[in-house]
Amino acid sequence: MKTCQEFAELYELYALNALDPEEQSEIEEHLEKGCPVCSDGIKRAAASMTFLATMPEQLEPPTHLRKRVLASVGIEKSNWRWIAAFAASIAALIVAIIWFSGENRRLDNALVAMRLQMERTTAQLANAQAVLQFLSEPETKQVLFGQGRPQPPRGRVLLNSRRGVLLIASNLPPAPSGKTYELWVIPNQGTPLPAGLFQSSPQGDAQYLHGGPVDLNATGAVAVTLEPASGSNAPTTTPIFVVPLTGL
Amino acid sequence: MSLTRKADWQFRLSVKDDRELVERLKRREPQAMADLYDGYGRTTYSLILRIVRNTGVAEDLVQETFLRIWNRVHAFNYERGALGVWLLAVARNRALDYLRSVEGRMTQSTSQLEELEAPARYGDFEQSILNIDRVRLLREAFAKLNPHQREVIEMAYYEGLSQTEMAARLKQPLGTVKTWARSALKVLRDQLGQEAL
Repeated sequence: MKTCQEFAELYELYALNALDPEEQSEIEEHLEKGCPVCSDGIKRAAASMTFLATMPEQLEPPTHLRKRVLASVGIEKSNWRWIAAFAASIAALIVAIIWFSGENRRLDNALVAMRLQMERTTAQLANAQAVLQFLSEPETKQVLFGQGRPQPPRGRVLLNSRRGVLLIASNLPPAPSGKTYELWVIPNQGTPLPAGLFQSSPQGDAQYLHGGPVDLNATGAVAVTLEPASGSNAPTTTPIFVVPLTGL
Repeated sequence: MSLTRKADWQFRLSVKDDRELVERLKRREPQAMADLYDGYGRTTYSLILRIVRNTGVAEDLVQETFLRIWNRVHAFNYERGALGVWLLAVARNRALDYLRSVEGRMTQSTSQLEELEAPARYGDFEQSILNIDRVRLLREAFAKLNPHQREVIEMAYYEGLSQTEMAARLKQPLGTVKTWARSALKVLRDQLGQEAL
């Protein structure tokens, strides 16, 4: 186990969530014991690294953004002044304005959430299109795994020498908290190569595309392991499944 | 970006009146939110835009950031907390969360990100910990980093990558990336006079 002095070299990387899993677990184990020195050190490091927030070119936000932000929490100076001036004489109107302003605020916040959701959906659509293109190319080859067995993960691995490896699996329960699935491309000779991290859905389905060229002749298998959330450079657990790429 | 243009990055981090500002936010004073935005809006917008590189998305995320602060400020310990550090942590996490979702990098669960921006994490250190002089020193030290050192620190902060992910992205051995990161942090620490960052 490292000393507090040795951990001190990791404070900033821990605060930025950039440590590799082994070191992260080590420092967390140490913090769980209640070390006040390291706990304070990490908080100080997190604050200091905030200087990076000042590094990007400082740009003036659009003027309407201020209004939007204030409106999102129900504050709009001019409206309130206007309301105050007429409050005594037209109480009913105030009630209506408050209701509409609340409704407007709610709708505006909902709009932001929807816009962000739309961005995410667009990205998912782009991914789906890449998968479709992958599937439609005649040179894409397919290997099934786990067939005929109801419980273990099963599915297919599709390979395309130009486009990469596509994994489609079912019966793969969501990774536990703090863990993720990692795909490995295992060459005929040499060590497994990390090919990306992915999660499965609550229903146990997973679809993951590792883009980029892959040498099919030099690849012997594809495997999946359970790894710490930030991934590993080499497998740290027994593979959940290994798919040999024979007969391609 | 020039370091000599002080006005470019001057912002309110841990200033004395943040304590009063937090109190006013907790009392739901309308002008407090306007003051908060006027103090941090530009830095927040610039940081988020640097991460997501899309003005429309950046505007939405700025709104989401300030709304979060408004909704969670009751849990912030203003006795010793630094409001700006918390606000910018929320901004960074919101932007990284967005980036991860569009890139399909789902390595961190929502609960982990929520934990990273919990107000309690930012309410337990002295106000003076990140004053303007300290920021200036760190910025000067950052300018001294070599391109590799700078790249890994930027990838960690603006892209939320772990060292393992950086190694894969840069096609470099993990040990090399760790060396770059740690030597970069040593330069920053040395600039502050050997004290911990």
